Amino acid sequence: MSPRREVIVASPRPRDAGSSVGQPASTLVRGGDFLFVSGLAAVDPHSGERVRGTTAGETRQILANLKQLLEAAGSSLDKVVKVNVLLHSMLEAPNMNEVYARFFPEPPPARTVCGARLPDGAKVIIECTALIQ
Amino acid sequence: MTENLPRSVIEPKNPRLNVSRNANLPHVPGIRVGPYIFLSGMGPIDPETGERNHGPIAEQVRTTLANMQHMLESAGSSLERVVRVHVVLADLADMPDMERVYREFFPIDPPARTAWSMQLRFGNGCEIECVALAT
Amino acid sequence: MREVIAAPLPGLDLRQHYGHHQSPAIRAGGLIFCSGMLPVDPETGERRHGTLTSEAHVIFGNLKLLLESAGSSLDRIVQVHALIYDSIEYDVLNRVYRQCVANGPPARTVWTAQIEAGFKVQLDVIAAA
Repeated sequence: MSPRREVIVASPRPRDAGSSVGQPASTLVRGGDFLFVSGLAAVDPHSGERVRGTTAGETRQILANLKQLLEAAGSSLDKVVKVNVLLHSMLEAPNMNEVYARFFPEPPPARTVCGARLPDGAKVIIECTALIQ
Repeated sequence: MTENLPRSVIEPKNPRLNVSRNANLPHVPGIRVGPYIFLSGMGPIDPETGERNHGPIAEQVRTTLANMQHMLESAGSSLERVVRVHVVLADLADMPDMERVYREFFPIDPPARTAWSMQLRFGNGCEIECVALAT
Repeated sequence: MREVIAAPLPGLDLRQHYGHHQSPAIRAGGLIFCSGMLPVDPETGERRHGTLTSEAHVIFGNLKLLLESAGSSLDRIVQVHALIYDSIEYDVLNRVYRQCVANGPPARTVWTAQIEAGFKVQLDVIAAA
């Protein structure tokens, strides 16, 4: 039997991290055993508007949203297996990490952090892969 | 619990798109492992000539995604089975043009995606990789 | 089933040494997702800055230790994101990479990115369990 591929509609639906023209990505896609989560920038979960602040503040918003998204999809932060964090500057890694550590329960997922040029003035973008159920 | 998932190399039916072999690079175009396909990052290679297409970004993205479609179909998969995409652009200003072309390839229930900008090699304007379900 | 792969040697526990909130690797769904591997001494955790070549060798050595402790191996790596600090080192990366994944090279994407602590290279890999 083919593994399921299914787009999971989050409610409310945050805007895609890299988009300024609508929704060219699904926030959550199930593929087989895993939930693939799009890179998330900091958005207000109710309005979908971008939230701009410090790296720590944006990290907090992203991870709070991620928690909601995963739980609504039948997963959770403790089922996340791998996280990729993109920062606008690696100097901000400790600020990001301090907030990050408060969200992910023991034992935390695997993670890679690097610095890159991020769209729409984002200071941080976080994507992850989680187990579903 | 699944273990020892079978693995096999994926190659494009069009040999001009086998960049790693043609350039003698230490990677493969893609790997199938169990139910998943991981493709290597792809750039805008002209499928007729095997040369890089360095036209406007919209053309580069179209070429790259068409090649990715070819790669997936060579492996018995398809764009509809893609679950995650990474789009890297050399220039953030190219995002809107990329978006316009991207949605042509993923019009319905698009995969999860993260897009950002980095320095790219060979003058490429974009590099795109994906994870897909094999069947 | 999500299973943590612990650091096989104390130096590979980046959490203890650097406060990175991450596990060395997670096994799930038949795959092993590794945290981005850095050129640190596997015994002491000290940073081993050097050339891209020397750093890559340390990284592959660390990945070998980690994956083998989890019942996998370098040969079973399926996907790599190779982060390098500058694309000018692309050929250098390929030279050392070729030496280390000669048997069944995986799918790969090279990212030119800012890497922590001024390292020249970092490898983010997924392997078959």
